[in-house]
Amino acid sequence: MSISFFSLLLSPVNFIGDLLLKLGLSHDAVNSVVWPLIQISIVVLVVTLWVAYATYLERKISAFMQARLGPMRVGPWGLLQPIADGLKLLTKEDFIPEDADRWIFFFAPYIAVVAAFIVFSVVPFGPDWAVITDVNIGLLFVIAVSSVGVLALILAGWSSNSKYALLGGLRSSAQMVSYEVSMGLALIGGLMFARTLSLSGIVAAQASDAVWYLVYQPAGFLIFLISGIAENNRAPFDLPEAESELVAGFHTEYSGFRWSLFFMAEYAAMVVVSAVATTLYLGGWYFPFVHKLETGGFHNLYVLVSALIFVTKMAVILYLYFWLRWTLPRFRYDQLMDIGWKWLIPAALINIVFTGFSVFVVQALDGWGSLRTIESMSQGLNLTATGKLIMIGLGIIGLFITGGFLSLVNGRSRDFNLKSQRRNIRLVNLPSGTPAVASTKETAPTEA
Amino acid sequence: MSLVKVPKPSLMQKLKRFFLIDLVKGLGLTLKYNIGAMVDKDAVAGKGIYTEQYPKVRPDVAPRFHGAPRLNMDPETHETLCIACNLCALACPEDCIDVLAMDVEVVVAGKPRRKKVLDEFIFDTSRCMFCALCQEACPTSCLELTQDFELATYSRAGFVWNREMLEQGRETVKYTS
Repeated sequence: MSISFFSLLLSPVNFIGDLLLKLGLSHDAVNSVVWPLIQISIVVLVVTLWVAYATYLERKISAFMQARLGPMRVGPWGLLQPIADGLKLLTKEDFIPEDADRWIFFFAPYIAVVAAFIVFSVVPFGPDWAVITDVNIGLLFVIAVSSVGVLALILAGWSSNSKYALLGGLRSSAQMVSYEVSMGLALIGGLMFARTLSLSGIVAAQASDAVWYLVYQPAGFLIFLISGIAENNRAPFDLPEAESELVAGFHTEYSGFRWSLFFMAEYAAMVVVSAVATTLYLGGWYFPFVHKLETGGFHNLYVLVSALIFVTKMAVILYLYFWLRWTLPRFRYDQLMDIGWKWLIPAALINIVFTGFSVFVVQALDGWGSLRTIESMSQGLNLTATGKLIMIGLGIIGLFITGGFLSLVNGRSRDFNLKSQRRNIRLVNLPSGTPAVASTKETAPTEA
Repeated sequence: MSLVKVPKPSLMQKLKRFFLIDLVKGLGLTLKYNIGAMVDKDAVAGKGIYTEQYPKVRPDVAPRFHGAPRLNMDPETHETLCIACNLCALACPEDCIDVLAMDVEVVVAGKPRRKKVLDEFIFDTSRCMFCALCQEACPTSCLELTQDFELATYSRAGFVWNREMLEQGRETVKYTS
C-alpha cells in the first residue's frame, strides 16, 4: 500500500488518469468532467474542513493570547469541538421570524456561501493538476465574485425585518463598497509586474523572476491586507456585527445551520483573501529550489510540495487575521470611513502612479551606460539583480512617500468626527465657589 | 468656565504615529502571550496559562477556607466524639444545627448512671454561612468545617445533612478528564 502510494507520488505519469482511461471513459470525459469533479470535491472538502477547524484555531489562538486554554473537553486538546459544534447547529431549530421576507431570508446564506466558495475554482493551489481551471481574467473574476458576498449580507439584513439586522446590513454595504475600491486598486501595482490577470500566470511570472512581489510592492500588500480584512468584516473592522451595538448585526435573526452558513462564508472569504494575497504578493506556490524536484523527474511530488507551500503561506496570513483580531479593538464608524476614504484609496492611487513610475525608471535605466536591468519581458517583467535591487529600493521609498504624503495631508484635514474637530475642550473641574453658568461663548468669563 | 488648548503632538509623538509603534507593541504583546502559552508544555498551571482547570485539577483553597461540615470520630474506636453538649447549636448565629440527644443507661464504677449520647445531628448547609463558630465552640473537636466545597445538590432537601452524611461525607461525582 505504502509503496504503491509512494510510486504514485514519484511517478511522472498521471496514474489516476490512466486508470480512468482503462475504465472505458473517453479522453475528453476524463479531462473535462472526471478530473475537475475530483479536484472540486477535494477543494470543497479541504475548505469546509478548514472552515470547521478555523473556528477551533480561532478559539485556541484567542485563548492563548488571553492566557487561557480554550476548548479542551471534546476529544484530545478539544480537537473534536468543531464536529460537536456542527452537530449541535444541525439539530437546532431553523427559526424564521414571522414578519421576515421568507424567501430572501431563506436564500441569503446560500448566496454568501456560494460567493465565497466559487472563487476557489480559479485559485492556483499549485502547478499543473492543482488548479481547477485557469481563467485568463482570474483576478477580475475573484474580485467580481467575492463582492457578490455583500449582496447576501444586505439581503439578510433587509429580509430579517429587524432594526439590528438592517443596521448591520447597511453598515456592511457602506463598508464593503468603500474597501472594495482600495482592494481592487491595490492589486494593479502587482499586475504591472506580472502583466497578466491569470492567477497561474501571476505565480509563473513571480517564479520565472524568482521574486515575491511583496518586496516590490510593500505598500500595495499593506493596502490589500487592510482592505481585505475590512472586506471580510473581521475585527477590527467588524462593524456590521458589532456585538456591543447591534447584537449580532446582519445575522441577528438567523439560527441553526443557516447561521452557520454565514459563519462558513466568513471563514471561506478569509481564505479567499489570503489566497489572493498569497498568489499576488507572496509568490503563490513558488518557493526557491522546489522546482528541482520537477527537473529530477518527481512531477507529482513537486505539485504536492508546491500545494503545501501555498497552504503554508496562506496559513501565515490567516494567523495574521486572528492576531489582529485579538490585538486591536473595533474602530469607530467614522474612523472606519476615514481609513477607507482618506488613507487607503489615496494610498492605492499613489501606489499605482509610483509603481508605474518605478517600472518606467527601471526600463529607462536599462542600457544606460553599462547598466542592465531587464532580463526579459516574455513572462511578466523579469529583472536582473541590479534591476531587482533598484525596484526593491523604489518600493520601500514608495511606502514612505505614500505614508508621509498622506499623513501630511490628512493631518491638516478636518475629521469626519465633529467632536474631535474642536481643538478647545472645556475643563471639567470648575474652580470652587463659582456657580456653573451655562454659556455658549468660548471665552472664560471674567472673575466676579 | 475655562478652556484649554489641546497640545499639538511633538515630533517624537508624530514619528511614533507614523511608524505605528503602538500597533507593533500591541501585536508583540499578544504574540508573546501566544508563544508563552504554546511553549508551556503541561499547559495547566505553568507560566503561559493562568486559568484553573477545575474538574481536571483540584483547586488549592485557602488554608482558612471553611466548607462542608463533618463530624469527627475517634480514630481508634470509630465512635463519635460528639458528647451532645449542644454548644454548637447554641453558638450558631443562623440556628441551623439541631442536636438530638438521648439518655442511655451505663454502669460507671459499679453504679448505674444515665448518660446523654448523640442520637441525630441535623446540619442545614443551605442556611449555614460557614462562620465556623460551631467549630470554635465544640469542646471535643468533633464538629469541623472541612475544605470541601462541592455542596450543590438537586433539591433543597439535599442541603440538610443528617448524622450519617456528616460522619461519612457526601458522595460527589469526581470528573477525571
